[in-house]
Amino acid sequence: MSLRQEFSKGMMKENPVFKQALGMCPFLAVTSSVENALGMGAAATFVLVSSNFLVSLFRKVIPAKVRIPSYIVIIATFVTLVDLLMNAYLPALHQSLGIFIPLIVVNCIILGRAEGFANKNKVVPSIIDGIGMGLGFTLAMVVMATFREILGNGSWLGFNLLGTAYQNQPLLIAILAPGAFILMAFILGFFNIMEKRKRGGAK
Amino acid sequence: MAENRIFDLAVSPHVGSPQKTKRVMWDVVIALIPALIAAFWFFGPKALMLVGASVGAAVLTEWLCLKFMKRPVNFAFDGSAVVTGLLLAYNVPSGVPWWLPVLGSAFAIAVAKQAFGGLGHNIVNPALLGRAFLVASFPVLMTAGWVAPMEWRDGQHIEVQACGVPTGNLSEIGELDALSGATPLNVLKQTFGWEGEPERAEEVRESLFSKESMKNLFMGRIGGCIGETSVIMLLLGALYLVLRGVLELRLPLSYLGSVALFGWLFGGPGWLDGNPLFHLFAGGVILGGFFMITDMVTTPVTKKGRIIFGIGAGLLTMVIRRWGGYPEGCSYSILLMNLCTPLIDRYTKPVSFGEVKKNG
Repeated sequence: MSLRQEFSKGMMKENPVFKQALGMCPFLAVTSSVENALGMGAAATFVLVSSNFLVSLFRKVIPAKVRIPSYIVIIATFVTLVDLLMNAYLPALHQSLGIFIPLIVVNCIILGRAEGFANKNKVVPSIIDGIGMGLGFTLAMVVMATFREILGNGSWLGFNLLGTAYQNQPLLIAILAPGAFILMAFILGFFNIMEKRKRGGAK
Repeated sequence: MAENRIFDLAVSPHVGSPQKTKRVMWDVVIALIPALIAAFWFFGPKALMLVGASVGAAVLTEWLCLKFMKRPVNFAFDGSAVVTGLLLAYNVPSGVPWWLPVLGSAFAIAVAKQAFGGLGHNIVNPALLGRAFLVASFPVLMTAGWVAPMEWRDGQHIEVQACGVPTGNLSEIGELDALSGATPLNVLKQTFGWEGEPERAEEVRESLFSKESMKNLFMGRIGGCIGETSVIMLLLGALYLVLRGVLELRLPLSYLGSVALFGWLFGGPGWLDGNPLFHLFAGGVILGGFFMITDMVTTPVTKKGRIIFGIGAGLLTMVIRRWGGYPEGCSYSILLMNLCTPLIDRYTKPVSFGEVKKNG
């Protein structure tokens, strides 16, 4: 696989959310606005790239038996960095993401890439893989947040799209938890249909 | 009917039954008509308009979904979509804009029913999920859109009775379009909050439980959702269903019985001083107990299971009414029990004939 493929596979072909159904917790929880989705995506991408880099660098040093705890320690280090940095420079975003910043530690995308990719590959492909997967995760969250923010608040990234008349009486459920589950079902269903069509066509 | 067959027939012997989906559904539609007449009488032509919009949207959504999924579109006319549309409209206040029941019906059919595979595959009652969707999306419209019923004679004499308590003759004000008013359950719930003034709370409760108020509850002359208020008209419809052999009474009776029992146990301010009759007549218990809890798809098939289902729903209804965030818990209790249906069915499976009970 070329480096370009390593990068682009995370966007669609192996998109962590749409195709692997990983990282569902932040995908459901923080996508109530596009701003939150972007913030979460950036934080997760940073942690993903850094942890992929370190895991790949130490892949021959870490004993196989304690690899998972080692990954967690590495990931937790970067999450703490992000947590403190965001608290210092973007307090508003930090406030709205809340508990989900520390929870990046247990994000299955990051652990999954460390175990599934960085552990077996050289440093440069691991970094590229981290960027691709991180951007794929961000893309998925922005898509979801776009639906939720427009339907549930009539705006996109804070810009009023549908007018104040709509904002007075929006489809509130879209930014509540049930709306997240319903929209997720439709989005994943859509990708399943696309997958089926593609396979049907290939036959 | 050949094109309606979506399953393979098993080898004989078969048990024949005159009950067809179509017949059952249209029977339910007929049974719901009396409540519609009451809604027209108490809430005016707007109620009819809302019901019509809801039913139209339900059938149209069903048709579109079937078309999209390349299934036989005449499923849309088997009556089940009409029932869903009717029940959804019966579950919204009459003061809401027309697009609200339309949206609710479309959601009920598209998400709660067709997304799960259509009639027979839905895990919860579509109309109730549609209502839950509306309550979550438009809490203000769905809980403040109450319109007090109005009776007009000769266009001059307007007598308004909100929450079952006569408020006098308002003819001096002239023509009114609508008057908002609280529902009896709303009022009851509020009295539980007046801890500092027990006399006032007691007084309001007494007027709620008065003979006059009970008569209004029974007739439907109270604020409430479009189709839930008139106990007598709903009972009339239920009687028709019983006579037609469509309604199996285990679910309604166990549900209403447990609402009355738990209503007496903790439906009042203290213990053992609730008014069971009030809890039966107020809110959506009669509508839910005869027309929504009896949905064949989402309730247990075993006899014992049906009774457990009814008791559980009654308990939940009363718990929500007494301690929950909403004044009425009928719809949520049925939805919650719908989700327990597979579990109930599993544990109440009767022993087959000839099978020896384990550890028996």
